Amino acid sequence: MTPVLDIRSLARAWDGKPALRDLSLTLQAGGMLGLIGPDGAGKTTAMRMACGLLRPDGGEVRVLGLDVQRDGAAIRPLIGYMPQRFSLYPDLSVDENLRFFSELHGLSRDQRQQRRERLLAFSRLEPFTRRRAGALSGGMKQKLALACTLIHEPRLLILDEPTTGVDPVSRQEFWDLLGDLARGGMALWVSTPYMDEAERCGHIQLLHQGQVIAEGRPAELSASFPRRILRLEGADPQAVRQLVQAFAGVVLHRFGHSLHLVCDPDQEEGLRLALRQANLEAKPQPPTLEDAFFHAVAHGSLAA
Amino acid sequence: MGPLARLVQKEFRQIFRDPLMVRLIFLMPIIQLFVLGHAVSLDLKGVRVSVLDPVPGPLSRRLSQAVWETETFTPGPPVATPSQAEDLLVQGRTDLVLHFPVDLERRMRQGNGVLGINLDGRNSAQAGQALAQVQAVLNLEAARLASGWKGQAPRPGGVTLQPLYLYNPELVSRYQMVPAITILLITIISAMLTGMSVVREKELGTLEQLLVSPLTSRQLVLGKTIPLAILSFGELAVATLAAILVFRLPLEGSVLLLSGAVFLYLLVTLGGGLLASTVSSTQQQAIFTVWFFLVFSILLSGFFFPVANMPQALRWLTWMNPMRFIIEIVRGIYLKGSGPADLALPLGMLAAHGVGVFSLALWRFRKRVA
Repeated sequence: MTPVLDIRSLARAWDGKPALRDLSLTLQAGGMLGLIGPDGAGKTTAMRMACGLLRPDGGEVRVLGLDVQRDGAAIRPLIGYMPQRFSLYPDLSVDENLRFFSELHGLSRDQRQQRRERLLAFSRLEPFTRRRAGALSGGMKQKLALACTLIHEPRLLILDEPTTGVDPVSRQEFWDLLGDLARGGMALWVSTPYMDEAERCGHIQLLHQGQVIAEGRPAELSASFPRRILRLEGADPQAVRQLVQAFAGVVLHRFGHSLHLVCDPDQEEGLRLALRQANLEAKPQPPTLEDAFFHAVAHGSLAA
Repeated sequence: MGPLARLVQKEFRQIFRDPLMVRLIFLMPIIQLFVLGHAVSLDLKGVRVSVLDPVPGPLSRRLSQAVWETETFTPGPPVATPSQAEDLLVQGRTDLVLHFPVDLERRMRQGNGVLGINLDGRNSAQAGQALAQVQAVLNLEAARLASGWKGQAPRPGGVTLQPLYLYNPELVSRYQMVPAITILLITIISAMLTGMSVVREKELGTLEQLLVSPLTSRQLVLGKTIPLAILSFGELAVATLAAILVFRLPLEGSVLLLSGAVFLYLLVTLGGGLLASTVSSTQQQAIFTVWFFLVFSILLSGFFFPVANMPQALRWLTWMNPMRFIIEIVRGIYLKGSGPADLALPLGMLAAHGVGVFSLALWRFRKRVA
């Protein structure tokens, strides 16, 4: 089956400084691919090139087999792009925004009516159709922007940090909507700096300084964290700090009342023993995606 | 309707929804025209006239009395020397000085009496009106005098004033200002609002939405500029009506030619606004960029200072300034009734500028954002 999005060796430099190096990916219908990375990692650059808004220095982007550079006009109806900032007119009402974008895409009156109803129900914006977009809450703005992006029923949805600056509840709700879309057969490519959001993607790529430093399913990635984490409850941080000084490379993190000790696998036995002698019982803590991510950023990969 | 028409419709909707925008576009120009127009068309009253008369005689006394007796003029402080006349004018203690020659009577009998008159040209319109009125009074009085000299002179009684302006020697008049202000208003509306409206979409992130929509970049440019072109023509209509009805300007030439010239000029200003938008990422930057070029354009346009009075280097520079040509054209159409043939050179230059700037803007716009 032709992938909805197929990117090969995409690269781009700004003023001679590489912003994106050798990005490759494939995305099938119904798939959700996450592009994870800190600010400045090259996420926006990659997405703008995929939409044809930016010319790549090298590599190619194909959407359903069509080359983005050559067949720009044919590709536009196939993709929906939601840029990082809110993409709607604050001085127009919810209805007027939806209407403008549907007219821009040349929908017939019947199609417009039908999709308007469906998208308003889907985004739960029906009670606010006459309200100006500028007067909506952050979460509602985001949903309206999504609705405007979906009005022409694209096959591929590209979302650049769609929930940055949105409250946690609205973020949850927004990602539920994205999940519905993927189940409906749409292909989604989403960038985010949030690890909890990344966990919801089928496949993620960790982008750092323009390079993919790790990729896979979220569970695989956290599982491939090469170190071990031991959790201590209610221990005195000062005492523990003293104790672990004997072990080179062990890192101590505090999480509320618990302490996380990050060590190499071959240190684990010795460390446990030392803790036990001090009457401290350490429990193994499964690594999270965040642990994997920080390790990959610090070491350039997930290798030990 | 195609996507272009939809974009135009949306632009209008946004402009008219913003109360500040509506006021800016329609109220401000009218206020400006009225304020400026009023400032330059004040009636003259109580203008102080001093007399420099080295050899006082009955003739000069009679002429100066005639001037002082009118409602417009009152006697100013007496003046003994030409340098004192200048001092009094500079200090603002008198408004104009009549300078009688020693041999006035002999000259008048020969039919070529010439008086010197010193005026402060800073308030050009007032000075111009004062000059005209003094001339009228003197002519009337001289004619009365001459009726008593019958037979003694073939062309008796002619009095000519030879004005010497301090400052503003070219004497810009209201007739010259009002058409030029009209152009200034159109420039601000079209260039500034185009730049702002494009950059606003950049700020909102909607520009990228439009770029990934089926809209082509040409449609996008047209959709952004057509509404402002229409508004500019509305502005032109309002300003032209005000010029004719309120300021009693004679519109000697063709309205059609005026509109055509303004269309060419709009290519420059709309294109300029687009260019500003390609180098700006905030509305403030766009406004500042437009303003920067606007100031140079105004100063080098002949708006205040005639191009002919500029140093040679600046005069060459004005050839690169489209505003110079449109002002030349509107003044020609308004005041002289110039036709296309008379204005071939400025029209040609304006067309070249318009096509050049707009094409450049279109090309840059495509390259920058698409």
